[in-house]
Amino acid sequence: MKETIDRLRSDGGERIAAADTPAGIEALRVALLGRKGEVTLLLRGLKDVPADERPAMGAALNRLKVELGELLDARQQELAGGASGEAVEMDLTLPGTPPCPVGTNHPLVSVLESICDIFYGMGFSRGEGPEVELDYYNFTALNFPDDHPARDIQDTFYINDKVCLRTQTSPVQVRYMERREPPLACVFPGRVYRNETADASHSAEFYQIEGLVVDTDISMADLKNTVDTFVRNFFGAAEPTRFRPHYFPFTEPSVEVDMQCVVCRGKGCGVCGQTGWLEIMGAGMVHPNVLKGAGYPEDKYTGFAFGMGIDRIAMLKYGIDDIRLLYENDLRFLNQFRGVL
Amino acid sequence: MKISLDWLREYVAWEDTPAELAAKLTAAGLNVEGIEEYRQSFPGVVVARVVHREQHPNADRLSLCRVDDGSGAEVQVVCGAPNVREGLTVLFAQVGAVLPGNFKIKKSKIRGVESFGMICSASELELSAEGDGIMELATELPAGTSADEIYGFTDTVLDIEVTPNRPDWLSHVGVAREVAAIYGTKVSMPYKWNSQQSGENLGVKVQIEDYGDCRRFTAYGIQNAVRGPSPKWMQDRLRAIGSRPINNLVDITNYVMFELGQPMHAYDRAKLSGGVITIKRAEAGLTVQTLDDQERKLDEGTLLICDEAGPIGLAGVMGLANTEVGPETTEILLESGFFDPMLVRQASRGLGLLSEASYRFERGADWDMVETAALRALYLFQELAEARIVPDWADRGDPDYRPAPDIPLRVWQVSRLLGAEISTDQAAQYLQALGLKVQPMGNPGAVSANAVNMMVKVPSFRRDLHQEVDLIEEIVRSHGLDNLGGGDFRGGAGGVPADRDLQLRKARTWFAACGYHELVTSSFMGEKDHEHLGLPEEDIRRETISVINPHHGGDTRLRTVLLPSLLQVARRNVNAGAALPLRLFQINRTYLPAGEKRPDMKREDEALLPEEPLFLQFALIGSREVGMGGVPADLLEIKGTVEALATFLRVPLAVEPVGTERWLQDGAQWRIVADDQVVGTAGRVVADIAGNFEVEVPVAVAEINLDRLALRPLPLKYEGFARYPAIKRDLSLLVPGAVRYGTIRDKVQEVGGPLLRRVDLFDIYRGQGVPEGFGAYGIRLKFSSAKGSLKGKAVDKAIEGIIRGLKEGLGIEQRV
Repeated sequence: MKETIDRLRSDGGERIAAADTPAGIEALRVALLGRKGEVTLLLRGLKDVPADERPAMGAALNRLKVELGELLDARQQELAGGASGEAVEMDLTLPGTPPCPVGTNHPLVSVLESICDIFYGMGFSRGEGPEVELDYYNFTALNFPDDHPARDIQDTFYINDKVCLRTQTSPVQVRYMERREPPLACVFPGRVYRNETADASHSAEFYQIEGLVVDTDISMADLKNTVDTFVRNFFGAAEPTRFRPHYFPFTEPSVEVDMQCVVCRGKGCGVCGQTGWLEIMGAGMVHPNVLKGAGYPEDKYTGFAFGMGIDRIAMLKYGIDDIRLLYENDLRFLNQFRGVL
Repeated sequence: MKISLDWLREYVAWEDTPAELAAKLTAAGLNVEGIEEYRQSFPGVVVARVVHREQHPNADRLSLCRVDDGSGAEVQVVCGAPNVREGLTVLFAQVGAVLPGNFKIKKSKIRGVESFGMICSASELELSAEGDGIMELATELPAGTSADEIYGFTDTVLDIEVTPNRPDWLSHVGVAREVAAIYGTKVSMPYKWNSQQSGENLGVKVQIEDYGDCRRFTAYGIQNAVRGPSPKWMQDRLRAIGSRPINNLVDITNYVMFELGQPMHAYDRAKLSGGVITIKRAEAGLTVQTLDDQERKLDEGTLLICDEAGPIGLAGVMGLANTEVGPETTEILLESGFFDPMLVRQASRGLGLLSEASYRFERGADWDMVETAALRALYLFQELAEARIVPDWADRGDPDYRPAPDIPLRVWQVSRLLGAEISTDQAAQYLQALGLKVQPMGNPGAVSANAVNMMVKVPSFRRDLHQEVDLIEEIVRSHGLDNLGGGDFRGGAGGVPADRDLQLRKARTWFAACGYHELVTSSFMGEKDHEHLGLPEEDIRRETISVINPHHGGDTRLRTVLLPSLLQVARRNVNAGAALPLRLFQINRTYLPAGEKRPDMKREDEALLPEEPLFLQFALIGSREVGMGGVPADLLEIKGTVEALATFLRVPLAVEPVGTERWLQDGAQWRIVADDQVVGTAGRVVADIAGNFEVEVPVAVAEINLDRLALRPLPLKYEGFARYPAIKRDLSLLVPGAVRYGTIRDKVQEVGGPLLRRVDLFDIYRGQGVPEGFGAYGIRLKFSSAKGSLKGKAVDKAIEGIIRGLKEGLGIEQRV
């Protein structure tokens, strides 16, 4: 290696001196010091040098790197100096001053907006509804039987016997249908509430986004298609999804959608509980009772609905391991999301 | 629900590995959340014979024994059991053995005598909950044989997530039905005991006060049951699914519940008063003692099982202590019923008493299983407890009970809803495999909205099937969701964000670009927030909405103002050493009690809902710089930020003196106005109030009620602009202390004439050279004309007019 360093020292100097255009200098800079440059490769090769020779060899290599860098800079200035007149002397390493400090958008809201963007792209509109909601819209109109395990009081914050904090964004789909005739395609993001003990994966307040499509012949195949398109667009690569039959009172058939674990790619890890799959949403075909409740004639329309937790999606996307981080607003957390829209 | 595969194999056969089976169950909707390798093993525990026993030299109640544990040498061990004696075959835990509960056996000294191991009782090995003394084995196995040869058990246990609509999956037979459907095989039901009719009389009559509460109630007599440990196979299976075996009498009803899904209850017949069992609602003020020895006050209307003296059981939830089966019990009355799910649920929630029984009954029992399960239990009592069964039994059921009506199915709707072509034959096969009976109707090939292709009979264990779409779900479960594809939905007709959403997004990104951090804060407020803000009693924001069932220790009230949440975040970050000044913003809702019906409401009771105005709030925290004219720089920045935001969003926001917000300092606050309506406030948070939230640095804040603001951007149409060069002139004015800049600006604009385009303040100077009580204001005036290049003369004339106007109107002199 020693010989190569010596050769590069003399031969590199000659090559730099011989360059006669700024582009030539840049090409040389890449060839010598670039990511796959000759010096860089030598530095990487240091690990194969016997341990006792390594320190001396490393120092020599670093010296060479600095020398070549200076020669390149000097030659570059020589070449440029001729064109633009007199050079000035100033400390170009002083810190820059930004027009204003760089703030952040909250990752939860950013993820919410970027999910909406994907659905805008699929022709969906966006709507919203109240967080303090009638029990009627949160449960009854969604085909939850009265006093059924499906509407477990333990999970719902009640204001009085008729009013609760919505436990899901699904009531907004009913409100939306009550006011419109199909075709409908809309998403409803917003805050929801569950009476749960806060821990790393649970928060009493969190965000969901609901989607609804109703038209004359909307099918389960359409639902799959739409969900797959969303996953592909949001998570990038073609992550496999899996649909499992499930139960929600307001959809029939109902499914849960899993995505292949983004961490282990399906091999099984702590994040996915060794299953290789991550549950990302609940979905299904809008239950005929819900369509009827919205005032639509029987058999005329079919539709699908889906709902997902935005917190969970944000956590998956950024590898956030504790949901509480999303509500603490600690700048040491938020600052990591600078530049995320 | 935990499902033991060893147990499951009794009813259905399959050849896949547990993982493959789990994947197929999951695809069919029985989400397998875990696959556990269950292993019951006793490392270091061996069969041994007691060779010698003598009294422990230093303790009356202890024995000193030598046992042959097959190791070649006799081992000395101290034993405290009264039944230890020479010649017994026992289970011996050698030094190094690990017993259940991670109890490690070590060499020890007991009352001065060395002991090398332990002779085990059944409870120490968790093989029985009852019984004193060491186990006495009746085995020919040689000493040294591992206890695993006798008591070892390995199994694979699936943990299945059972949705509330499928109570039938809360049993091994229920899951076996799905396994059979998946593999195209049949379920073989467990052996059922058949009664022989004889003359013997049970002597119990059942009365049901309201069949709506209890559709069916059956009672059976069991005599001379011999109480003892359940057989190993039963114990092993119960343990594998996490249920602790107690004794045969208790285990049998539990086993049948996990096997068939029907909870049952055993009463001590001798403790019953009279021969009439009544199922009725509780009167007010009743207190009972349940089997878990808890005194419980019952709500009026709780469904009870009563004998002639009073309550003996909480229907579907738990039995009462007064009729509990105990060691002295010789005759049992076995109950198997069908209770109203809602009543069971209410009782269970009301008492905070969740049992395996209530969990199943609140999801719904199976009419046919009421009797089938009881007969299965009777068979086991006879086989495992040597009991005699009274051949007569009581069975009272709702005479009006009808099985669920048949459901018509149109393949037209199946294909339409699934987006896949499913034939009549295919649909019928899928349904039949799940145990549904199918009666073909009409032309099997007919596909239309009016063509019913089959009538489907629903078995009693499928209470969740009510209508056509429920059958379609069954079909797609069998067909496989993976086999659906395509779909011709190509998107909706929207796709454009509404103005409001776009404006909010613009605001968010603009604030971030200006150095602000976005916050997401809780909807709940702290208990003392209003007090800390100094909100007077009469302030409308003192009225709050509370949750009646807050989480333990959690806040109960929804916030009516955002400021506390912002100050909380400020405190947190200031304390964490964040660089000051700190810029924070949030777009969040508050919740104000409403109480009138608004025009967009569909239902009367929507008037119960609060208003949820959306606020934009932003703040500058910890700035101590002083700006122009001695005004704090953060206040000027907050004002300027509102104005710049208004420009950026193209909304008509103006910041005017003065504001009247309670928590802002008088004289240091503005109101924010849009189209003559006040939409917000801006200014300095009173230091004491910030201090109440432990923020000890200056806070300048602005908030805008976005619901009061038309967020639509002002319409824009291009106008021609003056292409001729403008002329700028600076004036220095000597302004008396009492005159506000705004007055000067307005005056200048009033008298400046048609050529004046802009007035800007660029400096205020007080001090040397300026008389006491005056300020030197530097203002820059810009003149231009659309008609042509300005002449100096025209500008001079305008300046003269301005100077005269200021002097005459405000007594302001030009400083020369």
